[in-house]
Amino acid sequence: MELGAVVVVPAREDFMLTHEAQAHDLAASENSRPFYSSRMPILGNDVLRSWTERVRKLGVQSLWLTSNSPDESVDRSALAEFARQGVERLLVIQLKSYAEMDLADLLRFHCESRNPVTEAEDARGPLGVCLRDYLALHATRQKSAFPSAPTDSGQIPYQFRGYAKRILSARERQELVGDGLTGACAMRPLGTQIRNQVWVGEGAKLADSVRVIGPTYIGARTIVHAGATIGPFVSVEHDCVVDCGTTMERSTVLPYTYLAPGLLIRNELVDGGVLEDLSWRAVADLRPAGLGSRIQRRESRRQAFHESDVLSRAGRTSGWDFARSSTASQPWLRVQL
Amino acid sequence: MNTIPWIILPFPCGSDLADRRGLRKDLLIALRVSGSPVIVDFSSCGTLNHADIDLLLECVAQAAGRDTKVLFVAGSRVNRVLLEVTRISSLVPVFNSVREALAYPQIAVENDAEVLPASQFQKPGSA
Repeated sequence: MELGAVVVVPAREDFMLTHEAQAHDLAASENSRPFYSSRMPILGNDVLRSWTERVRKLGVQSLWLTSNSPDESVDRSALAEFARQGVERLLVIQLKSYAEMDLADLLRFHCESRNPVTEAEDARGPLGVCLRDYLALHATRQKSAFPSAPTDSGQIPYQFRGYAKRILSARERQELVGDGLTGACAMRPLGTQIRNQVWVGEGAKLADSVRVIGPTYIGARTIVHAGATIGPFVSVEHDCVVDCGTTMERSTVLPYTYLAPGLLIRNELVDGGVLEDLSWRAVADLRPAGLGSRIQRRESRRQAFHESDVLSRAGRTSGWDFARSSTASQPWLRVQL
Repeated sequence: MNTIPWIILPFPCGSDLADRRGLRKDLLIALRVSGSPVIVDFSSCGTLNHADIDLLLECVAQAAGRDTKVLFVAGSRVNRVLLEVTRISSLVPVFNSVREALAYPQIAVENDAEVLPASQFQKPGSA
């Protein structure tokens, strides 16, 4: 039976939908949560690549990459097209989580349980990974509706008991950083280990007086100015600037972020000029006070994440061989594995 | 029993320039001269900008080395986060509400403390 694979990168609107279930989280939050792209690196790693590696191990030669359209989680008719083109079984991965999942085991379970649809979930719910058989895809085409999370009654979900984190949640993202730094999961920081539990990416510059306390990761081309203290449990991703005397603990700084001098960043996630406090669950804008900002990329200005961005980001970072779908109503890329 | 008046001043955030200047003056005088504990209330501030941070630091500098006790009421979690990020909260106690600030041991003087809201605050010597 021919197996196809699709990786769906959630768009901004879908991110908000995924958090509707966490009503208490949103109620506790003072501001709307910022959107963290699932393509943002974690300890320098691309979560998409970790999934594609797992797909490749299944023996799948290529996969399709797309992003959600704003009004629905997946371009439903496009997915149903797979069935028409002879794909009898489809693996759909919503890029919302990092899970150290053996997809072969998922496939085996799917075959043995004879579900038309098998959704992988852990104790906290669906992980955004599911297998669909021809019948389910065909039904999708007939109904022109493709539920983003299968709700078919009587389906037996695949219970995943391994390591998994939802990467769109700032809190779980920070937990993943901590686990990666301490070896509690398979993800490892992408850089050179300069001493025990301290990794530095290529081209990073640290002033002599910078104090780095492990476990900590400092990404490629990041600059840390004099007197700063970084760590423990900190990940400063690539192309950031941490100005003089700023202290960071148990926090993540996403790429292309500038942090002003003398700040105390503790238990927070900073993305450009926006800071999310993981303890208070509050989102603060650092820009009016001049405390932080987005560093403009040299080659391109950062844009809101949308469908076309999938293409550019994937192409820039991976060097994969892409082919663009000419039939789909939204950008679809075929990635040769 | 000895009564200690304390003063609640709204932080001049988001006001127009004249209001801001006036409130700023009152605030700094209260800190410098009154000797009464001062509660600076940010409840009306949506978010703090760089001028606000400057003024806050000025407040802290004015209060430093004096008997004047200064407390900040963040009014929102966003403001509280900003006060922590800028380390101002390590210099001045920060509370979520005026009620919490009034319960602060060093400022609560039983129930006979005299409250001087900002509108009734008189500059020393002007009475």
